[in-house]
Amino acid sequence: MKRILILMVSAVLAGCATMAKVDSGQQVVSDRLVVDLDGPWNRFTRGVEVPTWTVEGFTVDRLQFFVAVKDGQPIADRPRGAKEQRPLTFHASMKAHEIVALFEGLYTQDGSTFTLDRIDPVTFVGEPGFRFSYTLIRRGDDVKLSGVGYGAVHTGELTVISYSAPRLGFFPRYQAQIDKMALGARLKSSVAGG
Amino acid sequence: MAEVGADWTAPARLAAPDPASDEGGLWALLEREEQRIRRSPLLMRDRELHDYLHTVACKLGGEHCPDVRVYPIRTPWFNASMAPNGMLQVWSGLLLRVDNEAQLAAILGHEMGHYLQRHTLARLKDARSRSAFATFLMPFGLGGLLGAWAVMASQFSFSRDQEREADRIGLILMRQAGYDPREASQIWSNLLAEASVHPGANVSKTSPMFATHPASAERRETLAQLAGQGGGETFQSEYLTRTGALQRELLEDEIKRAEFDESIVLLDRLVKRSSERADLLYYRAEARRLRAQKDDVDLALADLNAAATMPASPAEVQRSLGFIRQARGDKPAAREAFASYLQAKPDAGDAAMIQSYLRELGS
Repeated sequence: MKRILILMVSAVLAGCATMAKVDSGQQVVSDRLVVDLDGPWNRFTRGVEVPTWTVEGFTVDRLQFFVAVKDGQPIADRPRGAKEQRPLTFHASMKAHEIVALFEGLYTQDGSTFTLDRIDPVTFVGEPGFRFSYTLIRRGDDVKLSGVGYGAVHTGELTVISYSAPRLGFFPRYQAQIDKMALGARLKSSVAGG
Repeated sequence: MAEVGADWTAPARLAAPDPASDEGGLWALLEREEQRIRRSPLLMRDRELHDYLHTVACKLGGEHCPDVRVYPIRTPWFNASMAPNGMLQVWSGLLLRVDNEAQLAAILGHEMGHYLQRHTLARLKDARSRSAFATFLMPFGLGGLLGAWAVMASQFSFSRDQEREADRIGLILMRQAGYDPREASQIWSNLLAEASVHPGANVSKTSPMFATHPASAERRETLAQLAGQGGGETFQSEYLTRTGALQRELLEDEIKRAEFDESIVLLDRLVKRSSERADLLYYRAEARRLRAQKDDVDLALADLNAAATMPASPAEVQRSLGFIRQARGDKPAAREAFASYLQAKPDAGDAAMIQSYLRELGS
């Protein structure tokens, strides 16, 4: 349980982590994912493992980018010190439901509860993909969040964009912007591939 | 600390402390914490569950019953804690893992032992004497993010002597209430089995599942020895009936943890205990299907096929059969399974996705 406290304290401290402004317009995430932004965001430059942006602040809303995760790789590392926890490993053969199950594992690892509300087929990054919406009760502060994610597998690599925010006020304010950004997202070829 | 013997008797009801005292300050903080829990969306608001847990606590607590307030919390880890003001939290991961009312009583009796012996106050005084008072209260100081009594309780864990004392009192309370005290050691056997999937690891330090109630062989043996020949009842059917409506949610949350090694050990035990339940076969199959190691998918398929023939088989059994059959290239069987799922749950939140799988499979 000491680890949980450390994680929580880390989360608090991460609130003070350095951030950089992300200007509106075209942006490239992890050198691969191109998105068009209607407005500015804030990007965490440390203290987070996956690229994470926010408008309102770390403890309020969070937009995460899981870009070009390769077959056999975890979508994200488990918390430091939690080496007994199973890695959340992506396999290129996974169906949408199985990919969402990875995110259920990711978002509940701190004791939060995750409810999948819907999962629908959509085209994402030019591939047959999926959109999932979810409800999360955050264990740390008991806040009920709404979330939406877009995912697809392109040439055996997984890309997912996931956004969550308190269901009252914040999520409805940004949902349309997220949907528009996700539906317009596209992948650049990998550097190795030219 | 004098050892608690079989002749131990519970103290009279505990009076609220002087608000100006250290203990009074702690109570004020706990009352704030309790208000937060009452509003928490993680509080399980099932009236029947609440009343049942309160009844068990009262069987154990006797005249202390009016001072005990029970809060079942939806968190899929094994934990319970009782604060010195009578606030008793029981986490849903514990409810999934106990097999009967006697095991539940063993945990609640243990927590009540801490309460009746005022162990938290002793810890508070000890913390003050070590100039660690601020650290003791740090979780409250950080407000909502950390203001969880259960977290705090585990941060400043009771001494080994206090834990032993609470174990002994728990057994005494179990006996007095008519429960079989041998069930206390059985809990730790079950948790040790789950923890055994991490050989060589000290899961009490690294796994949130076991962090607050570390299972140890020594503790199990001591409890078994103290329980002797037992006597009393387990009240298994009572427990399973009274918590039956919640099982689905508890199992869903268990699978979502994605800790399939632990879940499979747990579900093996639950299936053995209640082999007539199709839902348990389904969730064991899910754990195996999603883990997908060695012969997992074959075993999942066997569970799903068995579950499909049982009464009250969840519609999701057909969906999982569809996934496996599709992955194996058995298109007609996959189509049939997905169609069966959609027929049972046409308005499911994933209906459109399943329809897309059907389109992939062709006609």
